[in-house]
Amino acid sequence: MTAALAPRHRLLRRPMLLAGLGLLGAFVVLAVFAPLIAPYDPIWQDSAARLVPPSAAHPFGTDNFGRDVFSRVIWGARVDLQMAVIGVVFPFLIGTAIGTVAGFFGGWIDALFMRVIDVVLAFPFLVLMLSIITILGPGLGSFYIAMALVGWVSYARLIRAQILVLKTQDFAVAAASLGFSRGRIMFRHLLPNALAGSLVFVMSDTVLVLLNGAAISYLGLGVQPPVAEWGIMVAEGQGFITQAWWITLFPGLAIVTLAFGFSLTGDALADLFGVQE
Amino acid sequence: MIRNWTKAALLGLALSTALVSVAEAAGVLTIGRREDGTTFDPIATAQNTDFWVFSNVFDVLVRVDKKGANLMPGIAESWDVSADALTYTFHLRDAKFSDGSALTSEDVAYSLTRIRDSELSLWSDSYKIIADMQTPDAKTLVVTLSGPSAPFLSTLAMPGASIVSKAAMEAMGEEAFAEKPVGSGAFMVDQWLRGDRVILKKNPNYWEADKVSLDGVEWISIPDDNTRMLAVQAGELDSAIFVPFSRVAELQKDPNLTVVIDPSTREDHLLLNHEHPPLDNPKVREAFDLAIDKQAIVETVLFGQGEVANSYIPKGALYHSDDNGARGFDAAKAKALLAEAGAEGITVNYVVNAGNEVDEQIAVLLQQQLATVGITANLQKVDPSQTWDMLVNGDYDLSVMYWTNDILDPDQKTTFVLGHDVNMNYMTRYKNDTVKQLVADARLEMDATKRAAMYGEIQKLAKADTHWIDLYYSPYISVTRKGVENFGQNPLGRFFLEETVKTY
Repeated sequence: MTAALAPRHRLLRRPMLLAGLGLLGAFVVLAVFAPLIAPYDPIWQDSAARLVPPSAAHPFGTDNFGRDVFSRVIWGARVDLQMAVIGVVFPFLIGTAIGTVAGFFGGWIDALFMRVIDVVLAFPFLVLMLSIITILGPGLGSFYIAMALVGWVSYARLIRAQILVLKTQDFAVAAASLGFSRGRIMFRHLLPNALAGSLVFVMSDTVLVLLNGAAISYLGLGVQPPVAEWGIMVAEGQGFITQAWWITLFPGLAIVTLAFGFSLTGDALADLFGVQE
Repeated sequence: MIRNWTKAALLGLALSTALVSVAEAAGVLTIGRREDGTTFDPIATAQNTDFWVFSNVFDVLVRVDKKGANLMPGIAESWDVSADALTYTFHLRDAKFSDGSALTSEDVAYSLTRIRDSELSLWSDSYKIIADMQTPDAKTLVVTLSGPSAPFLSTLAMPGASIVSKAAMEAMGEEAFAEKPVGSGAFMVDQWLRGDRVILKKNPNYWEADKVSLDGVEWISIPDDNTRMLAVQAGELDSAIFVPFSRVAELQKDPNLTVVIDPSTREDHLLLNHEHPPLDNPKVREAFDLAIDKQAIVETVLFGQGEVANSYIPKGALYHSDDNGARGFDAAKAKALLAEAGAEGITVNYVVNAGNEVDEQIAVLLQQQLATVGITANLQKVDPSQTWDMLVNGDYDLSVMYWTNDILDPDQKTTFVLGHDVNMNYMTRYKNDTVKQLVADARLEMDATKRAAMYGEIQKLAKADTHWIDLYYSPYISVTRKGVENFGQNPLGRFFLEETVKTY
């Protein structure tokens, strides 16, 4: 066995990771190449072809405005992936920074942040999100801000717990006795070792964010029409579910499939890093 | 053996429940609707959900007929009007309240005083014209007006002006009365399970009680349209109102169901905020009117169940005029007008009621239509509890609203929409003093022909100014099981449940 083959071999021995990454990759391809793949303009209304069932011309049928559901699902991948990624990145960054600082310094800094976290956690997640979005006004921007304001607490707690354990270990003590700066110890020595758990959590969190985003749009507070987004498509199709099931089914399946992809990847990563979720 | 026992038991159970449900169902009509009522105090609400139940629980002095074209006797058997049109003498029929007490002129005077003077009343302004009321005897009511008023008689037919029992209201107090009222209608409130259903039973003291076939009526709230339709399809409900437009064709095919389509006075329109440039320019407003293909809305959103509106006065309603210069769909002319007004490539803020399917669909459709003439409409979905305030405060450029007439006479709506009333001409901020004067004059004109001409002129002037954009007229659509007969509404929304028959 050559060294070059080893990583591929390891990947092949992890079918879950392979399947998860494959699914995610497929959605990324859909999102990036949406204009090339989608047969129609996602917001073009064809009044002559309203509520057409799935056919060769419209594989997923058309909605009540005569818009092609297949094209809308593909374009929707752009918005939903963006929502999932941005909705996780900011909480992750903020939470990680705060968790590291709180765990490392301890004392009043730690106590202060922990109380703030308690306050945020005291409110039900979705209620807090909805209130923030209602104040800021509906839209994707508000959704991201609300996610950042509410979502960081989980990351902060995870990282803080890791840092608390790591900072008493020999390598950290050794680094401190060598006279390295606190910043260097925090971010070069402790943080990389603390991140594995967070990275696994990112994957499962993405699923939640995706579902939240879809739910917010479903309630009319997220993406605004006529943009194609899966949650909004499910909401819009609901009124027609008895006569045109395809408007709701396909975007619904897309949400489930993408969420499944993130889930699989998360589980596989947990396996790989030996993290217990 | 055991198996047989269970079988027998099951059979017995099935039989007994079948018998029980048949016994219960006989004569009780269940009606599914979107939301529960808010009150049974007639003066304290302006909601159709309340008014539509009031009509069968209370009675009014004067009624509107089934076609929504004429007034007919209600509790007042007849009435005389003095030559100067200031004094109305009403002769009441023998009628009793549901508690068995007699309905007297005292009760009528009390009810009309309440709607005019009570702090709870949402309708005070419409009744301020009543200067004095006298009750020479228990069957006669003399009303004196402070000035002539053409619409006065119609306002007496509004469910808000329902006659309540003075004795019961005073004994129970206003709050308790609003929960379990005493009226003289065909049915009386048996139980009100807030948020769930209103249970009415036949009023044995109703003056036309021999005509009433149903033993009772249950108004059941089921907010989700699909669930409500399924309940009727499954036979769990006898009927349901607010059938979504998209479901009509499918339900009509069901041999067990009857789809009832009654003409209404509902008119949906696009409000334009005249204070926000360039919408202050009549040419720009005209361009919006020309750019909107109303027929497409009727086809796409209403699935053909309605027609294009050409006037703010609904088709079939009193003084509706077709000859008012309504414009067709002409995108090219719209573009030219926008260019002329120097308003090319403008962006407008379109406030949409979130969660209202029809509203949202119209918004998506209009957005595309406006885009073809170079107008960008940014949709702003807002919770319905907030939209009203936004419209009142002028935080909008465009927004779709609707109106259903509460009274036969066009004066009420005209005053709200064009009369420069307190509500800024229905939040449009439209200003035209000629129209304002005409609206005031038409209210005082007692000659029907002259009034018709005045309303014709008002409709022409308002259309020329594009005070708002009339979109469509839509009917009331209900569905019943086969075997429910005489179920329906008049254009003002009144259900004639006293005539409804359930034959199964």
